[in-house]
Amino acid sequence: MNPRRAQVETSKRYKLVAAALRTNIAAGRLSPGLVLLEGPIAALMKTSRAPVQAALRILEEEGLIRRFEGRGYLVGGPSSKDDPIRRDLAKLGLRISNEIDSALQNRGLWERVYDEVEAAVAASLIFGDFRIIESELGEYYGVSRTVVRDVLSRLHERGLITKTASSHWVASALTAQSVRERFELRGLMEPEAIRRAADRTDYDKIAEALHQAKERDPAMRDAPNWVDFDRALMTHCLMRGPNAHLIELIQQNRLPLAAASRALTKLGLPEDANAAGEYLVLFELIAGRAIEAAAIYWRSHLAGLAEKNLARLKIVAVISDPPVGLPYLTPRDV
Amino acid sequence: MASRKPKLAAQAPGIVRRRTLKVLGAFISLLEAVRVRASGDLGFDLAFEALDFPSCQRKAALDPEAYHIYDQTFHNLSIVWYWGALQSLDTERLKRWGSVGSLTRLGGVDKYASRGVGDVPMNKLYVQPDHSLGPEATRYIAMLPTVHNFDSFGYDLRVFNGEARPRESWSMLFDPRARGRLALVDEPAIGLLDAALAAEAIGALHFENIGNMTPSELVALFRFLRAKREEGFFVRCWATNEEGAGLLRRGETAIQSMWSPMYNDLGRARLHVREAAPEEGYRAWHGGISIARHVAGAHLDMAYEYLDWWLSGWAGATMARQGYYISAPEAVRSYLTPAEWDYWYDGQEATSDLVGVDGETVVVPKGAKRSGGSYVERARRIAVWNTAMDEYNYASRLWSRFVAEVNRRAR
Repeated sequence: MNPRRAQVETSKRYKLVAAALRTNIAAGRLSPGLVLLEGPIAALMKTSRAPVQAALRILEEEGLIRRFEGRGYLVGGPSSKDDPIRRDLAKLGLRISNEIDSALQNRGLWERVYDEVEAAVAASLIFGDFRIIESELGEYYGVSRTVVRDVLSRLHERGLITKTASSHWVASALTAQSVRERFELRGLMEPEAIRRAADRTDYDKIAEALHQAKERDPAMRDAPNWVDFDRALMTHCLMRGPNAHLIELIQQNRLPLAAASRALTKLGLPEDANAAGEYLVLFELIAGRAIEAAAIYWRSHLAGLAEKNLARLKIVAVISDPPVGLPYLTPRDV
Repeated sequence: MASRKPKLAAQAPGIVRRRTLKVLGAFISLLEAVRVRASGDLGFDLAFEALDFPSCQRKAALDPEAYHIYDQTFHNLSIVWYWGALQSLDTERLKRWGSVGSLTRLGGVDKYASRGVGDVPMNKLYVQPDHSLGPEATRYIAMLPTVHNFDSFGYDLRVFNGEARPRESWSMLFDPRARGRLALVDEPAIGLLDAALAAEAIGALHFENIGNMTPSELVALFRFLRAKREEGFFVRCWATNEEGAGLLRRGETAIQSMWSPMYNDLGRARLHVREAAPEEGYRAWHGGISIARHVAGAHLDMAYEYLDWWLSGWAGATMARQGYYISAPEAVRSYLTPAEWDYWYDGQEATSDLVGVDGETVVVPKGAKRSGGSYVERARRIAVWNTAMDEYNYASRLWSRFVAEVNRRAR
């Protein structure tokens, strides 16, 4: 991560830390007089000390906490007289909202913006060719040009957008041809990855996933739970293989397909009713260590899946307007 | 009031609520005259909902419970089929299945016929064991073939050499003499093919398979169309029969995509507008009727009766008067006058004035001859079928942008 990016994250992170502390003070979980130290807060929120420092300064300015003779701050306004109380923050049952929590613990602001833009771009692919307007993107999310550039360059790395000769960022339509080609690539790479991961596959986890699926209420068995299966296949089998480049290529190749599939499901298209059953067969084969059979089965499954996906894509034509409606994505002529 | 009630009931013992079959479809076949006649013949009520193609497909796919019968065309059948909105039809329950002609069942009217490319109806007719649609004959079909035609374009004889008829070709669409007076039909599975046939005919583009273009071929086609638009060729794109016929009637266009009923609606302009029989062949289409997946029990019986009724003659005769053919023509003969049969199906000179669907208006004057000849002659010369190609979604997006641009400038 480059220093400027880190700076951006820090600058937004402190707001999240401040928000979390503010909520807990208001709810009385951080009671008056409690000593707030940078280190424990940083540890609790799984962040560095810098944003905690900044957050505490803000709360002091807001009159929610005050300095005292010792290290750190006390909960309470400048005129409060409570004696310092020293407690382990981790045992106070602080509430940190999911949003703040995930923002703090898992990703910076930059990554959150990235995720939203990626989802929007991916959803637009089935509706034709779009141009991404950098200035509009920055304005829409309230982020700097640096963040915009970082977001776009990652989208570029992942193959979702390209740059035209005139230096415009564009997202090209997901055509039937590219769906066909990507499924062909899946057919070449994924069965091979299953073979190569044979010695490293977590067979217990595969068996567990299989067991869980079979234990399901029969009435629920037809529910489209293939997404869980697919995650299990990736995590416990394909991604455990020895060739990191192959795994990366597989993931990158799947990205637009998965995004389009999610977008189609969101539009109300029925899911493939047989998909889960086909994963069951694959898992049976892997769990039974019939790796070669599993690889061959997977290849033929992917060939059939390609046709289903093409049909699914074709029917999107009856949906006239892209539901995207974001100012930074505009349709373009090719 | 209350005292009258029992009396009323006693006087009307026969009132039973009649069952209704709901039909969703396009304006091609869902005429009021058809509804009235079918309802009388069948003894149950029919509710027709006629929409334009895109709205019809959207409703069919997203709201399959809203109708029992889906009356549409083979080229958009696969779209609705893959949404799981329709059920397989058992040919053993279809009384007139045996009278359906070879164009759909075998792929061509005879062995000399050009099959055409794109969505050839036979390729979507039979339900295969894996529930996909294909040309291998099975007991089950997805759609009962009904109305169809071989379309081209209409042009103003006064603009194109008057009486000395030129060699007719799709290239005429981009003839400089008609610049600024060209209109295409706004339908990506139809108008796009008219444009592509024309672009190929003038030698501007070549398509590996015009019925299944690649993304780069589509991009090339739309660059070509954009250039033609900038040169000022297009007047506008029309969406309905009324709109399209109006353009020619008022002389706003000299050449345009045409659907056969529009020729009956040209008024005096009919004298100088000719239906082309292009040397490259026709753009064909085939309609049909399907049953929604949820239909069962008594409604399913009604649905099969309704399908059967469509091939029993009267409907086919009514369609013929709009210039359409029916898949089982023999039953139609007894519902047409010999002069009508000879003109519409046999390509012979009309021995008397012929009336249209309303039974009054003369739509074909005595002595006229149908362009392109008889049914078999026309059916042998299919270049391409109306098609929702693999890239249909992409093509539709490009098409919508093009049409919006043409029509925006038209205003």
